[in-house]
Amino acid sequence: MRLMQSAVSFTQLFPEAVVCGTVMAAVCSAFGVFVVLKRIVFISIALSEAATCGLALALVFHFSPLAGSALVTGVVVFLLTLPEKRQRLPKDVVLGTVFLLASSASVLLVAQSGFGLEEIKAMLYGDLIVSSAHDRWVLLLTGVPSLIVLLLFLKQVLYAFLDREAAFVMGIRCWFWEGLFFFLLGLVVSGASKSGGALLVFCQLVVVPATALLLARRLWAVIGISMALGVLTTWAGLLAAYRADLPANPTIIGVACLLLIGVALARMLMNALAARR
Amino acid sequence: MKETPVIQCCGVTVAYGRDIVLDRIDLTVPRGTLLPFVGPNGAGKTTLLKACLGLIPHQGGEIACDFGKHPPAYVPQQKQLDPIYPVSVRDLVCMGLYPELGCWGRMDGEQRARVERVIGRFGLLPHRHKHFGELSGGLRQKTLLARAVVSRAEVLVLDEPTAGLDAASEADLLALIRSLHENEGKTVLWVHHRMDQCASLARQVCRVDKRGVRLADVAEVAS
Repeated sequence: MRLMQSAVSFTQLFPEAVVCGTVMAAVCSAFGVFVVLKRIVFISIALSEAATCGLALALVFHFSPLAGSALVTGVVVFLLTLPEKRQRLPKDVVLGTVFLLASSASVLLVAQSGFGLEEIKAMLYGDLIVSSAHDRWVLLLTGVPSLIVLLLFLKQVLYAFLDREAAFVMGIRCWFWEGLFFFLLGLVVSGASKSGGALLVFCQLVVVPATALLLARRLWAVIGISMALGVLTTWAGLLAAYRADLPANPTIIGVACLLLIGVALARMLMNALAARR
Repeated sequence: MKETPVIQCCGVTVAYGRDIVLDRIDLTVPRGTLLPFVGPNGAGKTTLLKACLGLIPHQGGEIACDFGKHPPAYVPQQKQLDPIYPVSVRDLVCMGLYPELGCWGRMDGEQRARVERVIGRFGLLPHRHKHFGELSGGLRQKTLLARAVVSRAEVLVLDEPTAGLDAASEADLLALIRSLHENEGKTVLWVHHRMDQCASLARQVCRVDKRGVRLADVAEVAS
C-alpha cells in the first residue's frame, strides 16, 4: 500500500521523469537486442559518449542540444559504417579512440563554458528527475519513429546481421539495412542522452537486452521481454531512488545489473540441476 | 538449343588491395553440373565463387551469370553464423523464402508445406524448434543446406560445407548434396579439399592454383 502511495506521489511530482524514463527504456532496450547480438557493445558506449560530447558542444556554442548530439553521433555512425577494408586500423581501436576523445572533449568543453558543477554533472551524466517537457518531446519524436521503423524492417535487419553473405545473395541490400540500423541507433542515443545520460543509455542498450536473451529463445520474445524489463527496471529504480533519497540514474542502473546477475545465476543453477539429472 | 552456362568469366582479375588473388582467369561453368572447386589454401577458390555471386568486386574482366528463375543460394560454413542469435532451425529454413516473400510477405500453405517437407527430408524434424546454436556442427550445416533448398534456387554455392564435421556427418551431408544434384538437377558448385570424395561424387573438378583456373577430369587431378 505504502509502495503504491509512493509510486503515485512520485508520478505526480515528476511526471516527465516517468514518461521520459519509460520511452527511453522501451526504445533503447529494443535496439539493444541487436547491439548485443551483433556484439557491438563497445559501439553503443562510444555513441553514448559522442552524443554527450554533442550536447556539450551545443551548450557552449548555444544551439539545439538535439542538433549537437545528432551531429556528433552522425559523424561517428558514418565512421562505423565504413567498410573495414578501408580502415587500416581494427574497429575496436577506432571505437576506443572515439570513446576517449568524446569523453574528454565533453569535460573540456563544459569546463570552458562557465556553468556550475551541478549543471555540468547533470548534463554529462544525465538525471531523469530533471527531465523537461522538451526532453519528453525529443524522446518521443526520435525514439518512437525509430522503434517503429526497426520493428517494420526487423526481418531485413536480422538477416543482414545473422548471415550477411547469404542475405546479400538473396537480394537483401545489407549495407543499406546496416546503415539504417546504425543511423536509427545514433538518433535514439542522441535523443536519449540528454535526459538519460551516457551511462543509463549504455545500460539499457546492453544490460537489459542481455537479461532478455537469457530468458527467451525467439527474437520477438527477446525484444518484447527486453522492452518490458527496461520499463520495469526504470520504474523500480525511480521508485527506489525516491523512497531512499538516492540519485535516480545510478539506482536504475543498479536494479538492471542486479536483475541480470540474478537471472544469470538462476540459469547457471538450472543448468547445473539439469546436468545432474 | 544449347543451354547457356551458369557462369562465364572472361579475363577476370580479383585483388584484395594490391594482392592479386585471381589474375585474368577464364572459366565456363555448364548448367546442371556438380562441380567441386579444389586447390591449395589461398589459391582463390572461395574468392572466385564469391566474385561470381557479387560478394566481392572484381577489378578486371567480365563475369556473366545466369542463375535461372530464382536467385542462387549461398551456403556458408556453419561456424560463420553466430550461435547467440535467437533463431530456431525452422526460422532459419524459412529465411530461404525471402526472395519469394520480400519485406512483409507471409507464408502461404504451399510454402509452409515446402518448409516442413524440406525439414523432414534433411532429418531435422526432431530439431525444428531447437535453437540453432544448440545443434551439432553437422545439423547446423544441414539446416543451412535446407535453407538453400527451400529457396528453390537452381544453383547452390557451398563454401567448404564439410569443414569441421566428423566422418559420419560429412558422409551424410555429401549424400544429400549428391541427391540434390542427381534427383533435382541442381547445379552445385562447392569448395572442397578432399579429392577422394570428389572422385566419388563428380566427373569434373575446377582446379584453382597458381597456374590459373581450369576444368579438369577428376581422375586426371587425382592422379
